[in-house]
Amino acid sequence: MPAGLNGLLPALVLIVLFFVVPVLALLLRSVTEPEPGLQNYAALLGDGTYARVFFNTFLVASVVTIVTVLVAFPVAWMLAIMPSALASIVFGVIILSMWTNLLTRTYAWMVLLQRTGVINRTLMAAGIIDQPLPLINNLTGVTIGMVYIMLPFMILPLVGTLRAIDPMTLRAAALCGASPFQAFRRILLPLSLPGVAAGGLMVFVMSLGYFVTPALLGGTSNMMLAEMIAQMIQSLLNWGLGSAAAFILLVVTMALYALQLRLVGARRISGGA
Amino acid sequence: MLLDYDRMGWLKIALLGFTALVAGFLLLPVVFIVLLSFGSSRWLAFPPPGWTLKWYHELFADPAWLDAALTSARIATMTAILSVVIGLLASFALVRGQFAGREILRGLLLTPMVLPVVVFAIAIYAFFLRLGLGGTTIGFVIAHTVLALPFAIIPIATALEGFDKSIEDAAIVCGASPLEARLRITLPSIRIGIFSAAIFSFLASWDEVVVAIFMASPSLQTLPVKIWGSLRSDLSPVIAAASSLLVGLTLALMVVTALLQRKVKT
Repeated sequence: MPAGLNGLLPALVLIVLFFVVPVLALLLRSVTEPEPGLQNYAALLGDGTYARVFFNTFLVASVVTIVTVLVAFPVAWMLAIMPSALASIVFGVIILSMWTNLLTRTYAWMVLLQRTGVINRTLMAAGIIDQPLPLINNLTGVTIGMVYIMLPFMILPLVGTLRAIDPMTLRAAALCGASPFQAFRRILLPLSLPGVAAGGLMVFVMSLGYFVTPALLGGTSNMMLAEMIAQMIQSLLNWGLGSAAAFILLVVTMALYALQLRLVGARRISGGA
Repeated sequence: MLLDYDRMGWLKIALLGFTALVAGFLLLPVVFIVLLSFGSSRWLAFPPPGWTLKWYHELFADPAWLDAALTSARIATMTAILSVVIGLLASFALVRGQFAGREILRGLLLTPMVLPVVVFAIAIYAFFLRLGLGGTTIGFVIAHTVLALPFAIIPIATALEGFDKSIEDAAIVCGASPLEARLRITLPSIRIGIFSAAIFSFLASWDEVVVAIFMASPSLQTLPVKIWGSLRSDLSPVIAAASSLLVGLTLALMVVTALLQRKVKT
């Protein structure tokens, strides 16, 4: 096994030949089909229908990120300080959910959220609602399904961040007369903010390009970008427009990824993911 | 005392309650799908009117399901082997090599993990159409290895960073050849990293939907493509039966992982 650069050769050949080249070829297609020029980009950025898809995508990604952060923070907080026997049960549940086939989990939500599904029936039986709530084929369904998938990606790194905080800093705050709320707002929250920002950004980036869950839990009237790209290629065979949309998604994702690298450093991401 | 578990008072109760709720939320679909697969209602009524194994009978009676599962297993196994071997070689170079641009190369190799899969899916689909690799096993394995490689490099590189190289050097001083020292000292020491790499790469391929939807042909379908197709037509309980078997597989993988980690600790 060679130790020098030649060890990288197989990986580089694979990535350059079957990742970089195909993606660049796609970029080329976006400015050459049906004819050379930027007309595909002009069409995408100038049309109201496409603008709605972009808006929807950012809206869903933002809502999913905010909800995921709010739900994940208290859980990560408890996991960081819980007795390890209890924590390992919760970790087990998180890993089970994360490792279970994506389509399986999405299928479960399709059944749970449908008009005659368990959730609507339970709420109606309890007398809380008298009409089934529209929980699927809309943004509500997408948000529930996406938050479900993103939670482990937010909780797990955040536990690391919270564990790294020295409990003494909070004891010192209490000794100096800070109320628990003050200690939270001025010590715990600022110290965990880098972890929250890094995790939140990762969830946002992943949500932007997500395909499966929005396609199955969302409706036709509020399509997201990844689904639109797939449709342009698969059903409409419009390679020029589809490639241009894919390239816009690529640029936005990579820009946010670069921002995240600056926030936490490349090593932390590759070592901790 | 916000980080002192024993002195948090009512706040601890509230946060623990919330954590339990979230754990319940995470568990809900998994448990639900397993229960549903044994329910006798074709319309997925819950709680089911009775219990039955007929969806499992239907699942095993349809050769298309078994075929898809075998195709997935074959592709995922080849992907795991390929990405662990390539990832192992790359990790040694990334962790131990001293050359300019190392961080950039590391970033490049990890990019497939961050790029939205749909972008890669249409790119490789177009590329393979030209090469005539669309809908072939080899095409699937190549595309999945690109996606799985980051999941192999990360655990192996992390394990290698934690391994004290002087132990390997000591073996060489004692007369082992560099290759021998690596095979007999270093590889066994980082075996947990290698094992994680194999599991993650396998899962990356086994669960992969998006590339598979584009690449699949009528004669070559992976399990996710088969499930995807069924989901689009109806929500048949047969999917619940197939899903439950996948949950069982996940549990088995978790148990094996936990056992291996325990073995290393003791």
